[in-house]
Amino acid sequence: MSLDAVQVMSGQVKELKVSPSSNGDARGSWEGKEEFDPNQLELTTKPKPVTGRRARKVEGAVFFPKPENAVTVAVSSRVLFRTEREQKVFEQKGVEEYLRYQIEHENEPFAPGPAFPFVKALEVVNARLRELYPESEELFDIVLVTYNHAHVGIRLINTINHHNLFIERFCMTGGSSPIGYLKAWHTNLYLSADAEKVREALAEGIAAATMFMPEKLTEVSESQLRVAFDGDAVLFSDESECIFKTHGLDKFFEHEKENEDRLLDHGPLKGFLEVLGKLQKKFYAKGQRLDCPIRTYLVTARSAASSGIRALKTLRAWGLEIDEALFLAGAPKGPMLEKIRPHIYFDDQMFHVEGAAEMGTAAAHVPYGIAQKYNSQQKMSSGKTENSSFMTSPLTYRSSSRQIRYRPAGKLCSAYPEFTEPHMFSLPGASINRQ
Amino acid sequence: MVSTVTNSDVKQKDVDQAVVVAVTFAAVFGPEAEDGSTVYRLGAALPLLQVLQRVNERLLEKNPAEHQLFDVILITTDSWQQQQSSSIINSTRHHGLEISRFCFSTEDNYVESLMQNNVQLFFTTDGNEALQATHQGVPSAMLDKNSVSCPSEQLRVLFCENAIIQPNMGSTEASKKSAQNFLAHLGQMRQKFGVSDSPLCFTLVTSHGGKDSCCCALKSLRSLGVSVDEAYCLGGAPRGPILSLLRPHFLLSDGFSLLEG
Repeated sequence: MSLDAVQVMSGQVKELKVSPSSNGDARGSWEGKEEFDPNQLELTTKPKPVTGRRARKVEGAVFFPKPENAVTVAVSSRVLFRTEREQKVFEQKGVEEYLRYQIEHENEPFAPGPAFPFVKALEVVNARLRELYPESEELFDIVLVTYNHAHVGIRLINTINHHNLFIERFCMTGGSSPIGYLKAWHTNLYLSADAEKVREALAEGIAAATMFMPEKLTEVSESQLRVAFDGDAVLFSDESECIFKTHGLDKFFEHEKENEDRLLDHGPLKGFLEVLGKLQKKFYAKGQRLDCPIRTYLVTARSAASSGIRALKTLRAWGLEIDEALFLAGAPKGPMLEKIRPHIYFDDQMFHVEGAAEMGTAAAHVPYGIAQKYNSQQKMSSGKTENSSFMTSPLTYRSSSRQIRYRPAGKLCSAYPEFTEPHMFSLPGASINRQ
Repeated sequence: MVSTVTNSDVKQKDVDQAVVVAVTFAAVFGPEAEDGSTVYRLGAALPLLQVLQRVNERLLEKNPAEHQLFDVILITTDSWQQQQSSSIINSTRHHGLEISRFCFSTEDNYVESLMQNNVQLFFTTDGNEALQATHQGVPSAMLDKNSVSCPSEQLRVLFCENAIIQPNMGSTEASKKSAQNFLAHLGQMRQKFGVSDSPLCFTLVTSHGGKDSCCCALKSLRSLGVSVDEAYCLGGAPRGPILSLLRPHFLLSDGFSLLEG
């Protein structure tokens, strides 16, 4: 029995204005109108005129939810905005000069950074949630958590106002670790440019990822938040990844087959997927399943016919719905992500993060699990400059790890010839038929 | 009558340029002090006294001829305490506290005493005393069990709304003016050190209102010469968890808010 991708996705055909990735359509705009201004992504230092602010249309709705009720997303200033120039001043001339520079340029707003479209999309979801549940505190609460000194505060506030972002909470810790504050804010997700801080947060049980500024950032939907996750060591623990890395692909498949019915352990981002699911259910409850402004994706190197089954069973057992699952059986993730256009994509392997970023996806690295040992062996630079320099460096190590990943699909999947291509299908209503 | 006694153990500061702070007897020596012994045990103000001393040391390291130092005086606020003058002096010298003068006053005239001694900040463990003093133009700060209790190398000052109970009742034009004066001094002291390794750290916490009220507060503090190191805009979130992480030595709320009604 063959799985017709279009048939399975029939549930969404009516509302989708855009073509699903598997059809391979050329990149069209997601919506009829193109509101996203590509000029915002240029690295310009010309002070932009502060435009008039849109009035907050919603009256009487909840603006300041209690941290424990809301889904708190903490972002650092370096991922929300582009601060490369200021970073250089800091690295070359030290902190006093850096602060002086910031104060001097206080009225020049920063340009949007890699997390900017993601934050904007969170606001869109909030607007929809407020329409449906005006009294509810179950909203996204965006907090700016930076270890910048408060001297930079006025410039950051000016920038937030300039871009019309709804961020009313922030922590500027003046150099001390923000981890305590993340916990005080009941943070559900922390995005930073600093891998050390992210590792600290992960160690404290807070979902966190490092974001990098790609050279180009493709346009993303302005009406639907799309979040994509890798499977192993992101949603799930790295136990299977360990087997693969230490014993190779064959052992991995064997292990997965033997343990098909044993649930995988949870990974650092499982909690975040969970809260996304809770918010999605609020839309479903009001009959807006087809028009839900949140969509989640699993993009994994596992293959649908074999190792992927364990992943699906685990998600189902956890009661988590994921809208679309892509089992790539080792194929590169970049092109798929470029079709999905998520606002953010979480992966534990720098190889995939870079591959995604090369194609314009805002990718975030989750420094968790065994893959980090392999990441660090291949790092080209260290310290603060890593996030700015690696994007332009040649990825010479890709080819070698690719060889491990790729397998002629025919050999393993000969019993299921229709599964030799990577494909995707939606979970609700989908069934895996194994003969 | 009020009497002022100098502590001969401590080098006296320059009256014109020092920043005078007063600490009450009950703050220095703790509530269990009234047990009849001649040497009192130390109370809630100890960490504060130690850190003020540390700031002075660092200022003098930078400039041995520095005159803009903290000048700490001890003040009694009721008649019973006033009568314990010799025990108080003994205990202070016994513990080696850097208190330069003693003001033995009563509940009726301690505020006058504060003003006569040019006190710029009054530390007490009693909310009513704080209110009274503020009302008459002397900026006050509360010390209680939530204050820092262990020694530290850095004086942490927190600027926020509602530092004292019912601040709107206490705040007057006079107190705003003197608070701003004190803030200007603090700002000048802070300027003498760099961004890192400073013995002073200023933090701003705005509990209510959003980023714009925080921005206003930052700007008005800056206009007074105070550069804040850390800033937290809570947007209505509870203050407790953040305060317990910040561990300030004391809170100030007067004189910088532009949004006071």
